[in-house]
Amino acid sequence: MAQETNSAKYSKATLDLINTTMIAPKKMKLIIMILSILSILGIIGIVLKILNGFEDKSAWGYYAATISFLLTTAAAAPMVAIAPTIAKADWVRPITRIASLFSVVGIVTALASIPLIFALPPLIVDETRRRSIWFEATNYSPHVWFALSIFGLTLCGLGLLYSSSIPDLAAMRDHGTGWRKKMGKSLSRGFIGTDSQWKSLQMRIGMMGTFYFLMLMFVNFLFSIDFALSLVAGWKDAIFPMYHAMTSLQSGIAICILAMFFARKYWGMENYIKVPQFWALSKLQLATTVLWFYFFYSAFIVFWYGRSASDQMVINLLIIGPYLPVFLGAFFLEFFVPWWILVWNRVRKSIPSLAVVACLVLIGVLLDRIRIFVISWSTYSNEVIHKKFVPEQDFPQFMYPSVADIIVFIGLVSLSTLIFILSTRILPLVSVWETHQSLLLTKVVKYVRTDVIAIGKPD
Amino acid sequence: MQQRRKLDQKQINQELLSGNLKTPKWYIPTMLFLGFFVVTGFATILYMFNKGLGVTGLSRPVYWGLFITTFVFWVGISHAGIMISAILRLTQAEWRRPVTRAAELLTVFSLLTALFFPLMHAGRPWRIVYWLMPYDFARGIWPNVRSPLFWDPIAIGTYLTGSTLFLYIALIPDLAVLRDRTTGWQKVFYTILALGWRGNPRQWLLQAVAGILLSALMLPIFVSVHSIVSWDFAITPSVEGWHSTIFAPYFVIGAVHSGVSAVVTMMALMRWLWKWNNHIRPEHFDALARLLIVVATAWLGCTFLELIFSVYGREAPEIALRELMIFTWPWNLLFIIFLLTGYIIPVGFWIFKKARNNIVIMFWTSILVNVGMWLERFLIIVPGLARKQPFTFTWEAYTPSLVEWYILVWSFAWVSFLMLLFARFFPLIPLFETKESQVFTSETKIGRATVPVIYREED
Repeated sequence: MAQETNSAKYSKATLDLINTTMIAPKKMKLIIMILSILSILGIIGIVLKILNGFEDKSAWGYYAATISFLLTTAAAAPMVAIAPTIAKADWVRPITRIASLFSVVGIVTALASIPLIFALPPLIVDETRRRSIWFEATNYSPHVWFALSIFGLTLCGLGLLYSSSIPDLAAMRDHGTGWRKKMGKSLSRGFIGTDSQWKSLQMRIGMMGTFYFLMLMFVNFLFSIDFALSLVAGWKDAIFPMYHAMTSLQSGIAICILAMFFARKYWGMENYIKVPQFWALSKLQLATTVLWFYFFYSAFIVFWYGRSASDQMVINLLIIGPYLPVFLGAFFLEFFVPWWILVWNRVRKSIPSLAVVACLVLIGVLLDRIRIFVISWSTYSNEVIHKKFVPEQDFPQFMYPSVADIIVFIGLVSLSTLIFILSTRILPLVSVWETHQSLLLTKVVKYVRTDVIAIGKPD
Repeated sequence: MQQRRKLDQKQINQELLSGNLKTPKWYIPTMLFLGFFVVTGFATILYMFNKGLGVTGLSRPVYWGLFITTFVFWVGISHAGIMISAILRLTQAEWRRPVTRAAELLTVFSLLTALFFPLMHAGRPWRIVYWLMPYDFARGIWPNVRSPLFWDPIAIGTYLTGSTLFLYIALIPDLAVLRDRTTGWQKVFYTILALGWRGNPRQWLLQAVAGILLSALMLPIFVSVHSIVSWDFAITPSVEGWHSTIFAPYFVIGAVHSGVSAVVTMMALMRWLWKWNNHIRPEHFDALARLLIVVATAWLGCTFLELIFSVYGREAPEIALRELMIFTWPWNLLFIIFLLTGYIIPVGFWIFKKARNNIVIMFWTSILVNVGMWLERFLIIVPGLARKQPFTFTWEAYTPSLVEWYILVWSFAWVSFLMLLFARFFPLIPLFETKESQVFTSETKIGRATVPVIYREED
């Protein structure tokens, strides 16, 4: 009897979730149309920037900030699924798909980073090698390695998404209709759920997840150093790549929370994505918020006490210089406000409040990226780069974004959102097989006078 | 594989109180052996006080040597307690239960031991009293509150107080069990310490709340302690190799690496000495090893960043220091041993499940980690001071004297002695946690597989 009930639950969940790919939320067509127009405008903006040339590096500051924002937001989102899955957390099952679906945005980030790679100055400037982590490497090493790593990360993300979707594709083959059925048949590669197929699937997800994490760290390492730190003479900051990677996780969590909020609101996922998922992510969000301050302060105190000319330059240029309002914005939105909100458990269990905090964090991360990348690209010049540090008279003035910068930012964000929404037409936002797993491994049982949840933890 | 055995409360009491209610055969010889080193170690310290720091290898310009290295090492070990108890408690990791008490204990005793070293290093430690009181207001000299050397005792003192409280609160229910099973002076002793514990619902609630609150409050202290220790070095621009922004997280992650490894060593010893095979099982070693792989890899990442950014600036003295450290005898040998023992050998073993479940391998690899971590601190502190700099009028390599080595040996004997002394009077594995674990865990049949189950209260 119990088994019958379970199989009824499985069938209901399967059909329910597969149907979400077929039935579009209200006003979807209008939203897709608006996003498409904005995306096209963004592409035009990129073309205009390319036509203006790569000589004036300061013109590429906001573009670099945009790429960094996309890279740190969308590329980090799959980590929200990977880390808890490896740690065998049971709450993560309903949100792994949302998180790994952000891998498709990696295609936009990778393609959009190509012009930036062309804009990046070579290692040898005026016949002298500038400071970089590529000590004796060939002139265009940062360009080549970054290109390889960002495309590698994208491929790895897509591979991870595909691997974790095979059982769902098989479900589409068995329960879907039309082109989805055909797609399921060809992509599920004969998956019928034998023991060896499940074992191989779990192993592939584990390995690709680990590899994705390592690639993500590598990309953050390269991007933060080559596209920011090494463009500012005298900025030597060993924690900066870690800071960049950590803020990346912070915004990855924020974008996941936002996507979960919309999935409930517009895709009818209320029965699958519930308060425990938000609660668990809110704790991670709180941790990253505190870590933001810790990483910032760890660097700040060393510069503050160091008192050398280059130490003081870093503080004067990146914190209290012309971009002080931007820094304060980042400080409040990435740390102070979310921290103060998220310490309250009641807020951590409130879905709308968490969506608001996620928005604040994303704005904060964007401001932080503007501060770092616009300063770096506008400070760079062939004359200054070989100096021991940037003298105060060479500090750039505050740069406002051009119209093209704004169009590019809106366009790329729209294109990313569009691709994400379109991918929900192919794969359900909540993984079918992991929903089955949850149903199988979790049940409410009576314990003395209270109800408790019994969670199965297979090896 | 299921390693867990169903135990009734009587059996748990019998097994876990066996060392407290009667003295094991090996206990007195071991205490005598350790006691010899403790007594002779204290005698050596007194000898050093009498003769002065001339009996050590310390000389200009290497003023910080083995004592400060060992101070940092023991502060690092102390990170085991909060990592295991607080973080794993907050993340509800079920496997933490048998390990928590020993880890908290290690924190308290290693902090106590760490405090000895700066005092000894001062040469005439009684003069430190003048630094505190009576304070010389007449001359208008104030302590430099901006110095991390001032923050150190405050952070460590707070950490020690908090850790002791943490240990004590978790001990109260077990003290009541001992109170009810002893007679004479022991009963009086346990009665006083048990603070009238009867195990009523209100007391359990307060105890649980106190545990969670202390866990959350101890976390920032946990991070601050080793960060502040790292700033003793990092804010000093005059010593090459020290002025690095990554030092704070690098030290904290390194501390967790060495602390958790020390817990593994201790767990193996506890299993072998008290024959607690039912309580400390291979699955616990497996879980700790998996945690250690992550921590060790993050630590290696920090090591890499620290090294790469030390030569990033292409400053001749920094490059010379790294050449000395990595390529010059005998530092190169120490550097190789440090890398091999700190990461390559242990993690090389831990990636295999068989090795993670083999207690002998876990025991020896955890010891290797701490050999590596001690060397890491030595390599951070000494070469930077020992290398000739433009304005040092005297320099020489540092060789620790026999007195210093003996005091190092004493510190290990002292911590082990204190641990064993504690184990004679208090249970090393929390009884109530073990009983709670028996209640909160079970197993269920899913298909043909038997799956472990844990119970959680509904959120």
